[in-house]
Amino acid sequence: MINTVEKYYNSLNEFASYKVTYSDGRIWSVPLDEANTDYQEIQQWISEGNTVIDNGE
Amino acid sequence: MAIDKVVSASITDSAVTDAKLSFNSNQFRNIIINGDMSFAQRGTSQASITSSNYYTIDRIRTSINNGGTWTQSQSTEVPTGQGFATSLKMDCTTADTSLSSGDFLHVQIPIEAQDLQYLKYGTSSAETLTLSFWVKSNKTGTYCICLQKSDNTRYDFVAEYSISSADTWEKKTITIAPDSNIQAAGGAIDNNNGEGFKLKFTLLSSGRTGTNNTWNSSTPADCTSNQVNLADSTSNEWYVTGVQLETGTSASDFEFLPVDVNEKRCFRYFQTYTVMGTMGARNSTDVEGSFEFHTPMRTAPSASQKTAKVFRDMFAGTFTQSSAAIGIVDSSDKGLFVGMGNLSGLTQGRIMCATSGTSEFSSEL
Repeated sequence: MINTVEKYYNSLNEFASYKVTYSDGRIWSVPLDEANTDYQEIQQWISEGNTVIDNGE
Repeated sequence: MAIDKVVSASITDSAVTDAKLSFNSNQFRNIIINGDMSFAQRGTSQASITSSNYYTIDRIRTSINNGGTWTQSQSTEVPTGQGFATSLKMDCTTADTSLSSGDFLHVQIPIEAQDLQYLKYGTSSAETLTLSFWVKSNKTGTYCICLQKSDNTRYDFVAEYSISSADTWEKKTITIAPDSNIQAAGGAIDNNNGEGFKLKFTLLSSGRTGTNNTWNSSTPADCTSNQVNLADSTSNEWYVTGVQLETGTSASDFEFLPVDVNEKRCFRYFQTYTVMGTMGARNSTDVEGSFEFHTPMRTAPSASQKTAKVFRDMFAGTFTQSSAAIGIVDSSDKGLFVGMGNLSGLTQGRIMCATSGTSEFSSEL
């Protein structure tokens, strides 16, 4: 289960991936790829009204 | 026999069959990857399972909604004389004797859609499938499997099998014939890298019943009303190995693959690395670099740093992350460009070689 999702920016200040923290404590970096099932889970989580943390670069 | 005795007239099209050969000529006939439970990159045992995830053996997903607490492990308990070295074990450590509607526990094996196109689902030529597996449990009774097909119209094929003798390995065979729904357009499986089938071994389920030996259109259906509750005692355990799904109306012998072939097939969905090629210090706290995977993955994978990474600067010794971290900078199914922070004292521009610390990459279904 997802606890938090945060945008990850690369050194060029480009949004590169998501940093996801799950309820079991594990942290995953998820690519912006629609075929990735973790990415699909994030989109579902967002559609349920949850908010992605965006602290910029 | 002299070579000139073998003439075309003695080998007609129908005379040579698999049954007359000493082996089954249909290689890679097993749709299931790692069905002998031999490859376990994540580890060989995981305790305290109460949520869904991939835990131990490759390609095996545990899906649970309530239904007790479990330890999953790769076991060396196997049926005698069948050639297997390992099995999957599910061990109940906290019981749930009173299931609520919607509770379930599955051992699942997702299967990629583009590997299933030769089944010709969605046409009148759809193939019959046969599932076979070896199973053992202390708890006798009726269990169920479910073959879920989700593309286009979802149908859940449910079938019962019986464990009739406690603590004894039994081989089960289930034939899965296409019906008129599977042969119609809604039965088609999309030709892509998404999920085509999800094979489920149901260990408990409540309120999700379907009709036995039927492609159920009322879903989710993962069992019949006869399904046992394997979580009703902490004495309960369940083993499975030799899982094979193939075309045809009968089960052939399990198809053992060479270790390297089986591993490569698993690498499509999950890989781990300690050494990750040569990277560089971006500043005093971060290392960046790119590397290629052992084999292309199903899609661009997610990344997780399981244990803190250790880097070596050949001029300045080793540097260890204060806590494990990895971030994807750019990605594809063939490789990644990653950044790894939580370091200190690096010299910008220096070459950094990862020497230990496990990085995990997942493109599971």
